[in-house]
Amino acid sequence: MGNFPILTAVTFLPLAGALLIMLVQTATGKSGDDAERGRQSLMAGLIFSAATFLASLVMLVSFEVDAPGYQLVEEVSWFAGVQYKLGIDGMSLLLILLTTLLTPISLIASFGSVKERVTEYTIAFLVLETFMIGVFCALDMVLFYVFFEAGLIPMFIIIGVWGGAERIYASFKFFLYTLLGSLFMLAAIVFMYMQAGTSDITQLANYAFAPEVQTWLWLAFFASFAVKLPMWPVHTWLPDAHVQAPTAGSVILAGILLKMGGYGFLRFSLPMFPDASQFFQPMMFALSVIAIVYASLVAFRQTDMKKLIAYSSVAHMGFVTLGIFSFTEVGVQGAIFQMISHGLISGALFLIVGVVYDRTHTREIAAYGGLVNKMPVYAAIFMLFSMANVGLPGTSGFVGEILTMTGTFQASTWAAAGAALGVIFSAVYMLTLYRRTVFGEVTNPALETIQDVTLKELITLVPLLIGTVLLGIMPNIIFDVTRETSLRALQMITGG
Amino acid sequence: MLPDIALLFIVLAPGLAALIAGLFQKYVTDTGAMVITTGTVGLAGILSVIQLFMYAFGGGVAEAVHTAAPAAGEHGAAMVAPIQHIITLMTWMDVGQFQADWAIRVDAMSIVMMAVITGVSGLVHLYSWGYMSEDPHRARFFAYLSLFTFMMLMLVTADNFIQLFFGWEGVGLASYLLIGFWYTRDAPNAAAIKAFVTNRVGDFGLALGIMAVFVVFGSVEFEPVLTAIRENATVTPLALAEAAPIHDLVIPFLAWNVPALEVMGVLLFIGAMGKSAQFFLHVWLPDAMEGPTPVSALIHAATMVTAGVYLVCLVSPIYEYAPFAAGMVTLIGAVTALYAATVGMAQNDIKRVIAYSTCSQLGYMFFAAGVGAYQAAMFHLFTHAFFKALLFLGAGSVIHGMHHEQDMRRMGGVAKFMPLTYAAMMIGTIAIIGLGIPHTSLGFAGFFSKDAILETAFAAGEAGVTFGMMAFIFGIVAALLTSFYSWRLIYMTFHGPREDSIPPETPEFDSHADEHLSVDEHGHHHHDEDPHESPLVMLIPLGLLSLGAIFAGFLFYDPMVGHDQGAFWAGAIYTATDNTLLADKYNVPGWVFWAPLFVTVTGFLIATFTYLFNRGFGAKIAASGGPLHSLFANKWYFDEIYNATFVKATYWLGGFFWKTGDKRIIDGLGPDGVTSLVRWGSRRLSAMHTGYLYHYAFVIIGAALVFGAVIFWRVGGAG
Repeated sequence: MGNFPILTAVTFLPLAGALLIMLVQTATGKSGDDAERGRQSLMAGLIFSAATFLASLVMLVSFEVDAPGYQLVEEVSWFAGVQYKLGIDGMSLLLILLTTLLTPISLIASFGSVKERVTEYTIAFLVLETFMIGVFCALDMVLFYVFFEAGLIPMFIIIGVWGGAERIYASFKFFLYTLLGSLFMLAAIVFMYMQAGTSDITQLANYAFAPEVQTWLWLAFFASFAVKLPMWPVHTWLPDAHVQAPTAGSVILAGILLKMGGYGFLRFSLPMFPDASQFFQPMMFALSVIAIVYASLVAFRQTDMKKLIAYSSVAHMGFVTLGIFSFTEVGVQGAIFQMISHGLISGALFLIVGVVYDRTHTREIAAYGGLVNKMPVYAAIFMLFSMANVGLPGTSGFVGEILTMTGTFQASTWAAAGAALGVIFSAVYMLTLYRRTVFGEVTNPALETIQDVTLKELITLVPLLIGTVLLGIMPNIIFDVTRETSLRALQMITGG
Repeated sequence: MLPDIALLFIVLAPGLAALIAGLFQKYVTDTGAMVITTGTVGLAGILSVIQLFMYAFGGGVAEAVHTAAPAAGEHGAAMVAPIQHIITLMTWMDVGQFQADWAIRVDAMSIVMMAVITGVSGLVHLYSWGYMSEDPHRARFFAYLSLFTFMMLMLVTADNFIQLFFGWEGVGLASYLLIGFWYTRDAPNAAAIKAFVTNRVGDFGLALGIMAVFVVFGSVEFEPVLTAIRENATVTPLALAEAAPIHDLVIPFLAWNVPALEVMGVLLFIGAMGKSAQFFLHVWLPDAMEGPTPVSALIHAATMVTAGVYLVCLVSPIYEYAPFAAGMVTLIGAVTALYAATVGMAQNDIKRVIAYSTCSQLGYMFFAAGVGAYQAAMFHLFTHAFFKALLFLGAGSVIHGMHHEQDMRRMGGVAKFMPLTYAAMMIGTIAIIGLGIPHTSLGFAGFFSKDAILETAFAAGEAGVTFGMMAFIFGIVAALLTSFYSWRLIYMTFHGPREDSIPPETPEFDSHADEHLSVDEHGHHHHDEDPHESPLVMLIPLGLLSLGAIFAGFLFYDPMVGHDQGAFWAGAIYTATDNTLLADKYNVPGWVFWAPLFVTVTGFLIATFTYLFNRGFGAKIAASGGPLHSLFANKWYFDEIYNATFVKATYWLGGFFWKTGDKRIIDGLGPDGVTSLVRWGSRRLSAMHTGYLYHYAFVIIGAALVFGAVIFWRVGGAG
């Protein structure tokens, strides 16, 4: 590809699209039918995000699997020693691909389901996409922080404007939690910059902070990543945010935004603060296991489909932190895999809830039952993703869980046994949900005329379905890409 | 062994057939789906059975003997590396030392299992043409059956623990889908979830066991792991402990320091307990009878539930050097054998009687494996598959003929309407009670395998193996009960007058009848009509299984547990050099040979007295409501106890964590607390009626103070 700045292109293509849509819609003024104009915006947004996806495939082709370190690096001096520096390794690559895949899927799912201010909605999504991609390829700490924080705003707006009845409460809770976390991170970034004299992530990874300094820095980053992930006990914003967010917002939130926490631990905490990471391992294990067991039990009692899946997300992200802090190759590889896998599965589950929500406008589990009689294709897809969510072997859910637990077993049999309990509970809540919504007789008269999945919905679900099964059977296509990342993240800890 | 192409066909074709029948049922139609799945599995069945015969009688064993010659002798094969053939399909997971392939591994154990699985599955497919003929969802049903067959084959042909786990959970999925096949009804749905979740409790142990294996051996593949144990190699665990010979290696597990092999043995066995419905984790199996009867025959009798036994025998090297874990296997197996038999005596649903009987027979297999007679366990697994599938399909034939009646109290006198089914059930019964004459070759299949188990258990007891003698005694008593409940079933169902005038006792049965309306166009007015004999597609499987129930024991006694066993198993089952149980079983005291026959005849006489000559005597006992009968009829109150403890605790904890943990404590102290604090503060401020000016002033002063403090602190810090 020569010197073409592919990463910049991938990152800012959505933003360019957003600007273009804004300009065109402003220029054409208020003329024409609002709904029609909204549809056009959404279509334009879809085209741009699809183009971004294609561009990210170019990035994939340019990526050399076995090469060490970061690739496709672009470096421009910004201000005061801060650089505009982008680059990717295996983990970044996969998370960017996940982002560029889920964004167009979210936009497709929004056709017909979002009816108000569609142009602004599209713009918010495109802006969000740019920030998300930016987070995963920024190689400068300050740049990372800018993307990391900026991403909050469009998400805050998506929940606050296009959300459900209690969207204001939910969006504030979301904002408050994440902002609080990131303030500590900002302080830490400023401190690190002052001490190390650079904000370059690659250089910081080799900088040895004094152990007592590491502890504080680690905690500051932890505050931010733990909220994002989210870990127990700072997880309570997630169920509210999901319940209120529109379907597409939930897909992105669960699919991508949560992954920034895991990404952060691997990119910052482990390589930059190895001593502190080891010091806090027991705490991370404890919090992860609590998250898995606690959230699974809470999920079991939910009456709202989206809340149930949100709590299930909390539990599944617990496996990610377990794997990362097992400090084993198996565990870290499993954690990265689990992030990708959860992105596909939880994204799909929120889409699945969205399918029936669009038809009946309720997320109450009790309002459903007997869907299989009316929507057999829907029932089959839902079954597959339910099984993926409970970690059935042959789906991607299994691979992440077994590897993170195996890695954990090496470090703590207690933590592994606690996490394995989650495997039991996930079956309890997921099968109960499925039974109550899909099986049984149709009792709610509103469901008598419900339609099976449409072509549009199939287009959103089938790619995720293929991904889930493919990664379940051939997970090596991921492991080959992330091997270098995992080993490098562990280098400082396992002595390299 | 068959050529690779045939092996690939046997294992993979059922999966492909399931996909076609499941995904393209709209295009291939019901009949198309039935033809594809039945044809594929049937062909796989024929090939597998040919393979078994070729292996056992056609040179396979001879070849094995030849290869094993250097270490020949009665138990010489123990020291020989297993004879196996592995076809690697592709890499599954390759992460550091965690390497698992998709593979097809064929050895003596999997040859036996493949024959059982595809053989019974093929017959069940065929049988279902008749049994499910009126069901509107036949394509789905057959797709599930084939999916199950595929998963089960993947389980028994795995060359690593991870693929085994794939098959293990895959059969669990198929079982879940088939138990809940009639998904509009509540009972099957509840039973399906119960089965899946209970199995997951077992899988909790299995998964941890696999992790322990990986951490200790740095591998999840059978070959390196089992070889290391056989040879007592020095292993260097990835963590947890220093290098040591594996038999002596101690690792920390939770709060204990325990021998590594014991940890693995116990954890893997917990998995086996779940899948094979052993005591404590048995509660799902009787409920699983909500599924269509062919499913009960295939999954919940002949194949899936035996996966636990297969696992224990597969990892026999572990149990050979883990006496505590092996003792646990023996204990749980013996208790299950007896427990399930007591409950089986007091059930009135024909399928539940057979389900408890399955549970009990699995107990036999486990205690055989626990004392070290893995070969006897596998032999019983093999023969049991025939007669138990036969009994279930026979019961299904009765249910079909009686228009979906399952309560034996409402049957009676069926023999004259369904003579062929009656004959098949008689054969199954004689096989399961193990009727045969000691020291001769006269007997049905169960006679050979059950007596082999009892004799080895006695020999083990004599040799001082933990719980060996207890297992023998429990086994003998359970044999008495087996004979009793089996004949009780025959008499209540086939003999005496028809008793369809008795009204359904529980609403459960009412709902059965109603719910079947959706699948049975005729409705339950058919109850008033006479039973009818089943169609030929259902009778042919009964006939073929009858042959197995009669001859399987006689034919395979020598290869599996007799003088040729070392050559037959060819190292697939490992026994330590001091484990000579299979030879010792010839030398037990004479009465041990005769004891099973004695108790079997006794059970028969009691059943004949109470249920044939004095019909109504049994009902009187039931009606008297004695404590022992209540205990048995209510399955020792396991469901009630579990509901009051585990189910309730889960429900309560979930609510507590949600309402108190999340809402009150975390949100209360966190965001909501902050919000209300701000609100409270602003209300107090408003109450002062000082207007906006005050607010501004307050904010300005407050801000100034904060900034001042920060600057002061910064300056102070700098100074």
